[in-house]
Amino acid sequence: MSKLIIDDREIEVSPGTKVIEAAAQLGIMIPRFCYHPALGSVGACRVCAVKFIQGPFKGVQMSCMIDAQDGMVVSTTDEDVADFRRHVIEWLMLHHPHDCPVCDEGGHCLLQDMTVSGGHGIRRYLGKKRTYTDQFLGPLLQHEMNRCIHCYRCSRFYQEYSGYRDLGAMQSANRTYFGRFTDGILESPFSGNLSDICPTGVYTDKPSRYFGRRWDYQRSPSLCINCSLGCHTVASIKYREVKRQEARFSEPVNGYFICDRGRYGFFYSSLESRPRMARINGKQCTFNQAQHAMIEKLEEIKKNSGSAAIAAVGSLRSSLETLVMLAQLCQTKRWRDPACFIDSSQVQNVKTAISRLEPQLRVSLRDIERADFILAVGADPINEAPMLALAMRQAQRNGATIVVIDPRPVSLPFPFLYLPAAPMALSAYLGSLIKAVVNRGTADKMGDGARKFYDRIPEGKKLAEAQPPLSSEMLQSLQQSRRPIIVCGTEILSETVLSLSADFALLLQAAEKQAGLFYLMPGANAFAGGILSGEKDSFLQIIEQIEDGSIRALISVEADPFWWFDDRPRLERALDKIDLLVVLDYLDSQAAQRANIFIPTATFYESGGMLINQEGRVQVAPRALLGGIPISQAGGGDHPPRLYDVGIAGFDPKAAWLTLADLANGAAQEDEKALQQHLWKQISDLIPQLATFSSIDEIPQEGIVCSCGVNIDSRFSINWSAASNIRHDSGDDFDLIEVDWTFGTEELSSLSPCLWKLERKPCLVMHSGRAEIIGLTDVDLVEISTETGSLEAELRTADNMAPGILVLPRHRKLAWQIFTPGKIRIRKDQIRKKQ
Amino acid sequence: MDWIIGIIVLIVKLGLVLVGLLLLAAYLVWVERKFLARLQIRYGPNRAGKFGLLQPIADALKLMVKEDTVPEAADRILFLLAPAVVATSALLMFAVVPFGSHLTLWGKKIPLVITDLNVGLLYVFALSSLGVYGVALGGWASNSKYSLLGGIRGAAQMISYELALGLSLVPIVMHAGSFSIVDIVNAQAKYPFILLQPFAFVIFIVSAMAESKRIPFDLPEAENELGAGYHTEYSGMRFGLFFLGEYVHMQVLGAFVAVFFLGGWRGPLLPAPVWLFIKIILVALIMIWIRGTLPRLRYDQLMAVGWKVLIPAALLNIMVTGAILLI
Amino acid sequence: MAEALEAIKALATGFATTFKHLFRKPITEEYPEFKRTLPERTRARIILTRDPDGGERCVACYLCSAVCPVSCISMQSAEKEDGRRYATWFRINFARCIYCGLCEEACPTSAIQLTAMFETCERDILTLVYEKEDLLVDHGGKDKEYNFYKYAGVVTQEGGKGEHIKEDKPVNVKSNLP
Ligand code: SF4
Ligand code: SF4
Ligand code: SF4
Ligand code: SF4
Ligand code: FES
Repeated sequence: MSKLIIDDREIEVSPGTKVIEAAAQLGIMIPRFCYHPALGSVGACRVCAVKFIQGPFKGVQMSCMIDAQDGMVVSTTDEDVADFRRHVIEWLMLHHPHDCPVCDEGGHCLLQDMTVSGGHGIRRYLGKKRTYTDQFLGPLLQHEMNRCIHCYRCSRFYQEYSGYRDLGAMQSANRTYFGRFTDGILESPFSGNLSDICPTGVYTDKPSRYFGRRWDYQRSPSLCINCSLGCHTVASIKYREVKRQEARFSEPVNGYFICDRGRYGFFYSSLESRPRMARINGKQCTFNQAQHAMIEKLEEIKKNSGSAAIAAVGSLRSSLETLVMLAQLCQTKRWRDPACFIDSSQVQNVKTAISRLEPQLRVSLRDIERADFILAVGADPINEAPMLALAMRQAQRNGATIVVIDPRPVSLPFPFLYLPAAPMALSAYLGSLIKAVVNRGTADKMGDGARKFYDRIPEGKKLAEAQPPLSSEMLQSLQQSRRPIIVCGTEILSETVLSLSADFALLLQAAEKQAGLFYLMPGANAFAGGILSGEKDSFLQIIEQIEDGSIRALISVEADPFWWFDDRPRLERALDKIDLLVVLDYLDSQAAQRANIFIPTATFYESGGMLINQEGRVQVAPRALLGGIPISQAGGGDHPPRLYDVGIAGFDPKAAWLTLADLANGAAQEDEKALQQHLWKQISDLIPQLATFSSIDEIPQEGIVCSCGVNIDSRFSINWSAASNIRHDSGDDFDLIEVDWTFGTEELSSLSPCLWKLERKPCLVMHSGRAEIIGLTDVDLVEISTETGSLEAELRTADNMAPGILVLPRHRKLAWQIFTPGKIRIRKDQIRKKQ
Repeated sequence: MDWIIGIIVLIVKLGLVLVGLLLLAAYLVWVERKFLARLQIRYGPNRAGKFGLLQPIADALKLMVKEDTVPEAADRILFLLAPAVVATSALLMFAVVPFGSHLTLWGKKIPLVITDLNVGLLYVFALSSLGVYGVALGGWASNSKYSLLGGIRGAAQMISYELALGLSLVPIVMHAGSFSIVDIVNAQAKYPFILLQPFAFVIFIVSAMAESKRIPFDLPEAENELGAGYHTEYSGMRFGLFFLGEYVHMQVLGAFVAVFFLGGWRGPLLPAPVWLFIKIILVALIMIWIRGTLPRLRYDQLMAVGWKVLIPAALLNIMVTGAILLI
Repeated sequence: MAEALEAIKALATGFATTFKHLFRKPITEEYPEFKRTLPERTRARIILTRDPDGGERCVACYLCSAVCPVSCISMQSAEKEDGRRYATWFRINFARCIYCGLCEEACPTSAIQLTAMFETCERDILTLVYEKEDLLVDHGGKDKEYNFYKYAGVVTQEGGKGEHIKEDKPVNVKSNLP
């Protein structure tokens, strides 16, 4: 620890802390442009000057460049430095355009703040201003290079921090330019962060361009529900419309940044097409009418066919409140248990993951940055959970070895070792990895079960022949690692691999490593869905029961089976067969359009609530806005209506759980507080870690990691004989896997018009060798036909993927729902080249 | 039969006095605005009716149709009650003011006073201290900083000046030998007490102005410091009641100045009530003139004048009077 | 004693002065019959002016609405096809405006200006809510010259990069010449 004095106040900081940070701990905000806690110091802007009065340095120095040391006496207010800073600002402003009124940064511009606080007011420079031509950088960012003060934050973030290379510094001296070599869409899915970190208005948010000023926005902390990581965001609302989203710092989760899917994935909440009115059989009606009709109809069905004839579907994008309320509703009404997942393998995967996330194993996203070895199994970070890739990039920058074992072609913005492996082969790989780095004695330390497990690991001979072998580099760095982390997806793997990964992590811990385990999950609140679902509760099961006539009514809560159910015709048939389809949602989904009774609900921004991310972290977002039709729509683009005292139009929708509570009680409930308390009790019963809090407001900002559902008995219990039964790849058929892409496959962000340009063209991906065999080449248009239908898409071939695999993105532009749920196998004669 | 007539006469008297008082209060406002304007080389109200004569009526109408707001955090009951206390206590004081000796109608002698209490003077003081409650309660019940400060100031000021007011009248009682107002007026049959007691007159008139919270003693409502002091939060007719209270108070005090020092209703030629009226107006004009000339006192000055000047002076006056009367 | 005399004298002069006023002719100018010409900088009814080239000056920067102490200005900014920032709608609630002039002071483009027109009384309070079409005039008001877009660095019809007042030609990033 070093002790120093800043502005007559003493502070003790850990070694390596910069003076600028030490001052911040005292609450002294030293001006800065180039320094950023996540990006470190470069000393480019010279505005953080302080005066060192005593200690190893003397005189005016940059506080971001100097480590705090014992005996330092620092002044930030000394006349010399104040004057120095004033001059620096004046230099920086020499060429600054006369732009503030038309600059979107104005109002939260660091340069404005510093100029005003530094005391530079009147321009003395008489020369001409340097100008730059701007570039088109895609639909997310507006470029205005004149405003640059050359702090290098952008290029450091873009290249060093996130690993992309298409934007950076060019030229030198007074001509330094930040941009791309030519105009074009930025490649990084983290580019939106540039608008947060650029201290001036060079990169400004394009979707909210010229919409408002920071001071006019209602800014509310929120959470991203576009993947399972649950990154922290700030939602900016103006005129009843979420208009912009920024990253919110969170120590354990996303740090300072968020990805573009999250940043721009909010447009669904204020689409003009968003249904604000309830509907009965497609006809608009009041909220109360629809609610009455729903209650009545359900009563009727219960009378005729019994309460077990009613089933409910939950959604992985619903809040914990809604899911718990739904589960409780089904229980008290004796309906079927709600289904949140598509089929039983999905439930089981999530449930397995939850049961294996033991407290000593699970790690946060932040811990990933500190890992020195990361093994990603069946996970495609950039596509499934982009911020994971950014965290892995930090680990990689710090020297970690990254290994990805996956059937898909995986790309990451940094070097990593890649092993293409069919999902079936993954357990074998893991087995041999275990054998390679953990010895029997270590396994023995974990007890009998572990030893038996270890002994049963089949030899990987067969594997070595058929698949690319584990490289020695990989094995060596794993052996030497101190903090290895296993990252594991739950979408395309079997439950065995998930278990195996956890067992592997346990064994690594037994081998005295600080090993960690990190699962990805299929939705923002999949963890909660997993806790609340039974082993068998799946949508597929509901469909089967509709088909055999035992289910007569279906309530879908913020879920759209049309989006994710594999077999659309079958779904349609099933929905035709039932007597009643009730849909509660805030999207105008296909299910909503078909519903007999549709009741609009509030978005997550409008209701707030709790989410459990893939780590088991219960996080809370407050209500960010009340709701209602945005002014821009109410006024039709022109000024808002000239009326007063008419209430808020489109204010009907309320949080789904409130509607469910009304349904549970058979009538509209007045006392929201009491309901909330009741619900809180249910939730804290479900999640014991919450029992110490008396209400949702007490949950700390970084959330509470819960361990409900952990089951230690499931350690080392996998069935090796089944797992090692690797199907020989005959070359005649393909295992089809449905995957996510960063843009275009996720339900909510797919509704953001600004992201459409970033979506890749939907395509099927196949190994190039296989394609050759069946006479297909890259960019061929192919058709896959199944019993239920056919699908047309471009074919892309890739070398770096498992050969027996066909990759299909669940792209919004692709009507891909033509398969039988479960394991999908496509014979090569089902694939045809289209002319 | 007698008592029925008695009651009828009383009701008629009450009615006449009340209507007279209220009308006078309204027109006193007009007089004040006009006279003050002229003191300041302006016109004053001149739009509603000839010479703005309909202005008071317009004002009253406006006040009556305005929304009567009650602040959310106010103590509702007290808040609604306070203005009534102020207005009634001021009105009630007039009950003991004689506006003539008596009238003979159908052979009956009707005294021209609503009631001739033998402790009339004490009654007046009792009521005038009640008025403090209105101010203090109004200030407190509004639950607003301005009002509270105004209320406190009002209470402190009225209590302080009450003393001087009372003490200044002791010599009068000594001269008249009675607390009854009618007796006091009768005692001035030869010459008004102002000639006997000029000091008491000055003390009384100063304290009276302070009692009715008029400039330069309007600290409880000082608009540039406290908004409107204890009635900041009031609107509509409830504000009107405060306003009314103040102007009735002014008349009552004018009447008392007349009664105690200027010989009451006595005067040559004109009928008694007219004399009283003239005297009241005269006192009011003087008060307005003072208002038009002097700036508001500082709070410490106000207290100093009350306690360090008026009260000692009044006490001294009593002693001197006593001594003279003894000799 | 002398002090007391002094005080009495002072009081007496005061009373005498006010008393004398009683007999002077009031100096009041009676409004509807007599309308004084007001100075140009009188603060009343607000207008939105245009630059010398006829373009809307307001760039919808929200500074006036931010500074307005009674929050009576609201607007929505947007981008025109030529890159100009402008207000799609602009609303001033004159029922609330206190004519303090802070908006005019804050305006970086001389767009919003107070005028001497103060007779805006209305019976229906809603008619005091002025929209952009009510506010926009076709002259420059008190400032005849200024044209913000001729100075600002952003690309509009008033000029591309390097074509504004006091601007150098854009840097050629791909050149090695000094
Ligand atoms: S970057 Fe900042 S200082 Fe520059 S124009 Fe924008 S708001 Fe103004
Ligand atoms: S563009 Fe922004 S972040 Fe990049 S160097 Fe310039 S001012 Fe810094
Ligand atoms: S004059 Fe003052 S109150 Fe009126 S709009 Fe301008 S800033 Fe607001
Ligand atoms: S300050 Fe001027 S330019 Fe900015 S919005 Fe107001 S009127 Fe328009
Ligand atoms: S912040 Fe230290 S030099 Fe820029």
